[in-house]
Amino acid sequence: MVLVYGLNLMAGCYAAGALSCLLARWSGRLALVAGHMAALAGAVAGLGVSLGVLLGEPGLTLTQPLPVVFPFARLSLSVDGLSAYFLLVISLVAVAAAIYGPAYLRTHAPDAGRARQAAQGLALNVFLGCMAFLCCAGDAVTFLLCWEGMTLASYVLVVSDDRDGEDARAGLLYMVMAHGGTAFLLVAFLALTERGGAFDFAALRAAAGDLDDTTRTTLFFLAFVGFATKAGVVPLHVWLPRAHPAAPSHVSALMSGVMLKVAIYGMLRFAFDFLAPAADPLPLSWGWTVLIVGTTSAVLGVLYALQQHDLKRLLAFHSVENIGIILIGVGLAMILWRREGVGGVLATVALTAALLHTINHAAFKGLLFLGAGSVLARTHVRNIEELGGLARRMPWTAGLFLLGAVAISALPPLNGFVSEWLTFQALLGGAGRFHGPAGLGIVFSAAMLALTGGLAAACFVKAFGVTFLGRPRTPHAEHATEAPRSMIAGMAWLAALCVVLGVAPGYAMRLLDAPTAGLLHGPGASAVVTARGPLVLSTGLTASGADATAISMTMVAALLIALTAIAWVLRRGAGGARSHAAPTWTCGMSPTSRFDYTATAFAKPLRLVFAALYRPRREVTRETAGTPYVVRRVHYAGEVVDVAETQIYHRAERDISALAQAIRARSTGRIHGYIGFVLGALFVALLLFGVVQ
Amino acid sequence: MMTGGRSPGLLLVEMSLLVLLGPLVTGTIQKVKARLQCRAGAGVLQPYRDLTKLFRKGTVQADSASGFFRSIPVLVLAATVAAGALVPVIQAGSPALPLGDAVLLLGLLALARFLTAVGALDAGGAFGGMGASREMMLAPLVEPVLMMVVFSIAVAAGTTELGALAAQRGTSWILDWHAADFLGFAAMLVLLPAETGRIPVDNPDTHLELTMLHEGMLLEHSGPGLGCMVLASHTRQIVTLGLVSALFFPVGPADGTHATGLLLGAGVFAAKILALATYLALVESSYAKLRLFRVPQYLAIGFVCAMTALALRIL
Amino acid sequence: MSAGTVHTIVDDLGALLLFTMILILAAGQIYRAIYAVAAQSLLIAIAGAVLAMATGNRDLWVIAGITLTVKTVALPSVLHWVVKRMNVRREVEPVIPIAATLTLAVIIVVVSFHLSATLGPVNQAITGNALPVGIALTLLGVLVMATGKTALTQMVGLFASENGIFFTAMAVTQGMPLIIEIGVILDVILAVLVMAIMVLRVRSTVDADIADLDRLRG
Repeated sequence: MVLVYGLNLMAGCYAAGALSCLLARWSGRLALVAGHMAALAGAVAGLGVSLGVLLGEPGLTLTQPLPVVFPFARLSLSVDGLSAYFLLVISLVAVAAAIYGPAYLRTHAPDAGRARQAAQGLALNVFLGCMAFLCCAGDAVTFLLCWEGMTLASYVLVVSDDRDGEDARAGLLYMVMAHGGTAFLLVAFLALTERGGAFDFAALRAAAGDLDDTTRTTLFFLAFVGFATKAGVVPLHVWLPRAHPAAPSHVSALMSGVMLKVAIYGMLRFAFDFLAPAADPLPLSWGWTVLIVGTTSAVLGVLYALQQHDLKRLLAFHSVENIGIILIGVGLAMILWRREGVGGVLATVALTAALLHTINHAAFKGLLFLGAGSVLARTHVRNIEELGGLARRMPWTAGLFLLGAVAISALPPLNGFVSEWLTFQALLGGAGRFHGPAGLGIVFSAAMLALTGGLAAACFVKAFGVTFLGRPRTPHAEHATEAPRSMIAGMAWLAALCVVLGVAPGYAMRLLDAPTAGLLHGPGASAVVTARGPLVLSTGLTASGADATAISMTMVAALLIALTAIAWVLRRGAGGARSHAAPTWTCGMSPTSRFDYTATAFAKPLRLVFAALYRPRREVTRETAGTPYVVRRVHYAGEVVDVAETQIYHRAERDISALAQAIRARSTGRIHGYIGFVLGALFVALLLFGVVQ
Repeated sequence: MMTGGRSPGLLLVEMSLLVLLGPLVTGTIQKVKARLQCRAGAGVLQPYRDLTKLFRKGTVQADSASGFFRSIPVLVLAATVAAGALVPVIQAGSPALPLGDAVLLLGLLALARFLTAVGALDAGGAFGGMGASREMMLAPLVEPVLMMVVFSIAVAAGTTELGALAAQRGTSWILDWHAADFLGFAAMLVLLPAETGRIPVDNPDTHLELTMLHEGMLLEHSGPGLGCMVLASHTRQIVTLGLVSALFFPVGPADGTHATGLLLGAGVFAAKILALATYLALVESSYAKLRLFRVPQYLAIGFVCAMTALALRIL
Repeated sequence: MSAGTVHTIVDDLGALLLFTMILILAAGQIYRAIYAVAAQSLLIAIAGAVLAMATGNRDLWVIAGITLTVKTVALPSVLHWVVKRMNVRREVEPVIPIAATLTLAVIIVVVSFHLSATLGPVNQAITGNALPVGIALTLLGVLVMATGKTALTQMVGLFASENGIFFTAMAVTQGMPLIIEIGVILDVILAVLVMAIMVLRVRSTVDADIADLDRLRG
């Protein structure tokens, strides 16, 4: 009962936050702060509800009918383990964003008008509320309403920061792609509701039970395309690296860290909950598709991230990568569930890996976006080539950003490593179960995952090094100062999460029990992964489980700390601590910031190694003084292409414009003729309908 | 379920042994190399003397470096040594208290590499950037291949815990090798110079900017800091060799803590490391350094070998 | 020798054969490819000897001996001599990048394992892995021929491909009739000699290699 109050409280807070935009009539700043504080309260309420469900008795499902709005459907909320888990992810990042937001908006755009401040406060609350209630939806109408609300609110936020029209174009592309995806979802949901005769999820499950295999697979792929568009899976990712950076940074953190996860939630709900239990577990083709798409997204996402010099855009491409890693886990869970049957251990490991990576990615990507936001707020520059030397000027931001960089590069002892370790274990176990090319395919996916991890590390050495280390390259960077305290606090909250989930992941497994057991109808995560106590992660890969691999992140972290202390003492004790500063060695010249490696130069070797994919184009022009030996200045322009964009979208664009040109040649320009066309189309549609009936 | 197993005390002893013997391996490789090139060469203890010298010196720090710079050598050393705790040295079998597996070992080495590269960019010179850029180009290509080699062993054993893998290998040797082991070992031989930073991939003896990778990143470190970095790269080398020998060769007997068993284990370990060190010295003396952009092709040989090993194992 | 030992040895030799094949595919210099193919022939000879010992089939001894003399010593020496004589660049110039060749190689290995699994029970095969390894070796040899630009690389490829056929024959049917094997070997010798002579003649007359043959198109 308390939990139901919590749900109401959450709704109330977000609604109050949305309404607080009215305060902008008196003071824009007041409206902004009030909106964010209400969002914070809502997020805390969401935390309470989700923890209550996850840690409560197993199988607990909250249901709450909503007031009747539409005559044709009863709206309701239903919170089970899966919903609660995603609500937890949303609320955790929302807390950080709400703490961070007001100071960020004030610092970044001190001259913003009241209307903009009001709109941002309103949209943020609507955005958060829609995401939270989407995960708690108990019927298709609520789900789709929240889905659309989420898209619209985030669109408003994307274009709210507009300075040069670029953001408006990004917003438009986002809108088009999102609606295309929603169309697929609508078809998938309506096909089920029509068969079930009602909109609530129980009816959908029942309807899915009577489907034949072809229809089930068709519906799955429709929904998959719909959700994948929102999740930014390659090749449907083109909107993501444009739209995410355009939003204010704390909203970028929410979009990348959380909104993509909502799409994963939808995918899991649709595939495992609605379509799966009907007959035997999911067909193999589903799992393989998801696994292949996931692997492709992971590799291409990180490869494109590597060549970005816009800090936020780089982070956005990393979201494509991490969604890919999550999908590897999801696809593997589907395959292994089918292979092992209900009750199998390995599928649980794979799904645990995917879900754990969901929360991990939310934590470190949120942290990194907030860090990028601090840099942006103080320097107003997103291009890392124009930064440098910020570590001396913004030490807290730099330290927290470095922590996030280590976490996202899947390095121990932080949280990114834990979920990748579980993914590797599931892949290894899967390879042992399958013989023939299928097994090798899984192993290849593991190799690609390792490649992804290595490339991510390379990318973050670049992003961190070029932004924060060396000497400042422009006055923007030179005159930067540390971010305000509330912004640091927002980042520190997520950083703490990264550390805790990395060092003591066993305690988080308890939270994963309800979703894994609920989806796979098998043992929960903690029974499988933390069978040897919360400090040890272990997996039983063989059927007997005898040869379990066990690691203890806590012990390794303790060992690392102890060794660091010893090494520190060793270093201090030695050498009498004589120390003085001198300029960096630059072969005798006096060092300037032009000696620093730039991001372009840093990424060049990998650009050449993967040239077949990037198709790099470079243009060098020299201005010489009289003789070719005295070079006055060199102009360098380089570019890499996104294969998906050029091969699919530009081609489609060309074809469509060609078609449009062809039609234009035949069009009369008279309005009557067009209306006649509409009439004709309607007539044909009716005829077809009659024939089908 | 883990009865007995290697005690935490033994793990610490093994870890310290690796740290203490790391410079000796480097010294041995240098000595063998010198003899192969008909030079007398420095004594095998030279790396210890170099380290002592470095730890006695003062520090000169770049004035543009940030606060991270001073802590980087310490963290790099700690991460590398922690990786050493995961390698079974003189006794096979899982540890009594779980610590980590091969994936975690590779992760810790990657952490050390990440921090080294970050440190290299800190001082803001072109050399550091060049070294970091090249190192971070090769690392993502080496890691998947190493992972595949580990998988080619682990997929049959069903575990990635190195002690357990070594225990499964038993004490019998090459006669028990499965066909896949040959190919996996071949892949490992291709990878070893890359992972230990030696010719034909990197040249540890040079400070010429055109050829260096790892050395370029150490250029701005000095005194005890440089000492930590150098000790870390010695340790990294012996840890990598220890990984190979745990994957492919027998480690001392898993049962009991008899003095004879431990002695035998120590002897076997010394023999294995000596053999691998000689291999590295041979390769260094007989090949030229590859052009940087030829290295991916060289690593591809390792990748194909590892994939073929896996094909033999799973198909 | 027990049957189990023979199986293990043939399996292991198969792995080493694949390794030499990978070396041939990745060789940057023609000399290395020649050495690798000689090593491969040596492994084939060892395999023949092991099988001969195990089965007591005297023909296999003869074949092992011929392989050792002809393919391990004689033909590589001829190739070596041709390279020296031609005084050409020693670098192999592949038609497609070596990385792409190696990718193709992985695909070929996987496909041949898959194929032999679907071929149904070839019960005569001495071990489960011998047939797929043989098929893979044969196909990879053809791959070497397809991706090499010079006639020399193609000779090496032909050679390696033939080794694959030999290995398959030995491992699956315990050796073809002696007369066929000798015929095949004679074929290879003849082919190598003809190609060597042709390469030398073409080279000395018009200073071109077979990569330039496409210039002859009308």
